Amino acid sequence: MNTAMNGTNEVLVDCQSVWKIFGARAQAAVKAISERGLSKKQVLQDFDCVVGVSDASLQVRRGEIFCIMGLSGSGKSTLIRLLNRLIEPSLGKITVKGKEIARLNPGELREMRSRNIGMVFQSVALLPNRTVLENAGFGLEVRGVAKDERNRTARAALEKVGLGDWTSRYPKELSGGMQQRVGLARALAADPEIILMDEPFSALDPLIRRQLQDEFRQLTKSLGKSAVFITHDLEEAIRIGDRIAIMKDGVIVQVGTAEEIVTRPADDYVSDFVAGISRIHLVKAHSVMRPVAEFKAAEPHCDVNALLRTSPEADIAALIDLTMQSDRDAISVVENGAVIGVVTIRGLLRGVAGTPTAA
Amino acid sequence: MDISTITDTFDSWTDNALGWISDNGEWLFDSVRAVLEGTYDGVLWLLQLAPFYVIAMIATLLGWRLIGAFAGILAGLAMIFCAVMGLWSETMSTLALVITATILALLFGIPIGIVAGFVRAFDRFLEPILDLIQTMPPYIYLLPAIALLGYGAATALVATFIVAMPPAIRLTSLGIRMTPHEFIELGQASGLTPWQMFTKIRLPFAIPSMMAGVNQCLMMAFGMVVIAGIVGSGGLGETIYSAVRTLDIATSINAAIAIVILTMVLDRLTQSVARRTEGDAR
Ligand SMILES: Nc1ncnc2c1ncn2[C@@H]1O[C@H](COP(=O)(O)OP(=O)(O)OP(=O)(O)O)[C@@H](O)[C@H]1O
Ligand SMILES: [Mg+2]
Repeated sequence: MNTAMNGTNEVLVDCQSVWKIFGARAQAAVKAISERGLSKKQVLQDFDCVVGVSDASLQVRRGEIFCIMGLSGSGKSTLIRLLNRLIEPSLGKITVKGKEIARLNPGELREMRSRNIGMVFQSVALLPNRTVLENAGFGLEVRGVAKDERNRTARAALEKVGLGDWTSRYPKELSGGMQQRVGLARALAADPEIILMDEPFSALDPLIRRQLQDEFRQLTKSLGKSAVFITHDLEEAIRIGDRIAIMKDGVIVQVGTAEEIVTRPADDYVSDFVAGISRIHLVKAHSVMRPVAEFKAAEPHCDVNALLRTSPEADIAALIDLTMQSDRDAISVVENGAVIGVVTIRGLLRGVAGTPTAA
Repeated sequence: MDISTITDTFDSWTDNALGWISDNGEWLFDSVRAVLEGTYDGVLWLLQLAPFYVIAMIATLLGWRLIGAFAGILAGLAMIFCAVMGLWSETMSTLALVITATILALLFGIPIGIVAGFVRAFDRFLEPILDLIQTMPPYIYLLPAIALLGYGAATALVATFIVAMPPAIRLTSLGIRMTPHEFIELGQASGLTPWQMFTKIRLPFAIPSMMAGVNQCLMMAFGMVVIAGIVGSGGLGETIYSAVRTLDIATSINAAIAIVILTMVLDRLTQSVARRTEGDAR
């Protein structure tokens, strides 16, 4: 729905049935999979190959922040490395900005990587022989940007991540979390259209982490960038992502908005993930409201036009606030000037508890 | 045909071959000789430009900057001691030989090592050759050198060059190959050209290993330069050689002490440079 607000549905990154299999006999394993449909376990047994990513399909649209989450070893890093061809897929097709990346020649691939797809690494990878400023300006240096301009941009990026005073230090003088922020600044300074981020905030303390999450989201949105963001923290995925893909053993088991994933988990694995998540900011009025006709039938004396009004996108927290202000037990949901449903206290309780909505 | 005739034939073949090479390649060996001796003379001229106390001061300064004040003073005193023993000009000749041979060995060894670092097949091809060079007794290399270049500094330089090159090749190649994978990925993901990947990523990570190669190269050169006294290299090696022949034990011990001093000073200096670059890289 965020992409709808940005007014475009252009797909920037398109991944179609992509597989990555590691091991000496990967080719034979690929053949067996496409012919006989072997499972990950069988591939490991029969071919001694590890399936890193299995039949993954996803689309990242312009302006979208797409989160990938899953447990350790579920193939997140492998999947993101396939998107800029740091590793070649064993099977499947990946298209970035309408170009199939497996077909790019070395020059075109370099151009694509240095201008269009930035990357923040899980291992950070700051060059130890360069200062923080020189590290942050690395992407620009590679593109041949003049030193003055490069340093100005790098300094601005470092200030955004709160490291403006550390420009002349060396990476080893910084803590793990600070190094991660330099890694982020390096990607921001290069100003790519698409940023691939592999657990960029994992070493940060909760406070600064939250601040960076919000700032990152706001920054990407205001600049109209797209991002693929890996995390193993569902709260982070919900906070940052427009859509979330959940991975398990190399398979994408569900893709959807935070609300869809929390309210309608695809399987037990996903429900386990979402079990502890507070729904108060996720569940929206449109999924807990009762249709007007049904409400009128149950409460014939109540005039829906006299109730307090809200939009279909209002979350449970906002609905509770409104209910507290009102002397009635219901709120009407209005879209384009017309009442499309009514949220009752029962509906609110159901939304908070997470039981499937009847209405 | 008995064994001795076989060996005789073999010997006469080698003699003939060497004779043929030195006759027909005369212009080549003459020019090699001229270049080597010219470089050596140039380096020696530079070293002798300054009186001994200036060199001692430079040693003090370098030791102080690179290692510490105490090491610096020791280095300076050590150099003065060489002069006090009356062996200053021999010490400088030896230093000139070592420096020339080391520069030559690095000039060839580093590029060869870089190529070996990138091309696995070339590295595998070099490996047994380097092993062979390093297992043979070093004075072996004096023989072909003296046959082709004659008595003097050029022969000493060539033999020293051969002995000193293997560690430079090995450690350069190792350094190039050891670039951590995550930084290779960083380079790829940033869209580096192969040349940028080499200069901005691989080379900086290889420098500590290359500096260790420079240090080892220098040490090998010291060892060989002494042996090369036999072929009239000049310097401390020749002093020891002739002192031993005339049973002049005192002089030979003095010269040996001067060599040890020179070796230690240069070893410590280059080692500390190597360690510094390592500190930068990790
Ligand atoms: N180069 C490789 N060679 C062989 N197997 C690999 C390689 N890289 C990854 N794998 C395997 O692929 C699977 C997925 O690994 P991946 O690094 O993508 O996990 P991840 O989801 O990023 O985990 P984490 O959260 O711990 O970073 C693992 O089973 C791993 O062992
Ligand atoms: Mg990972």
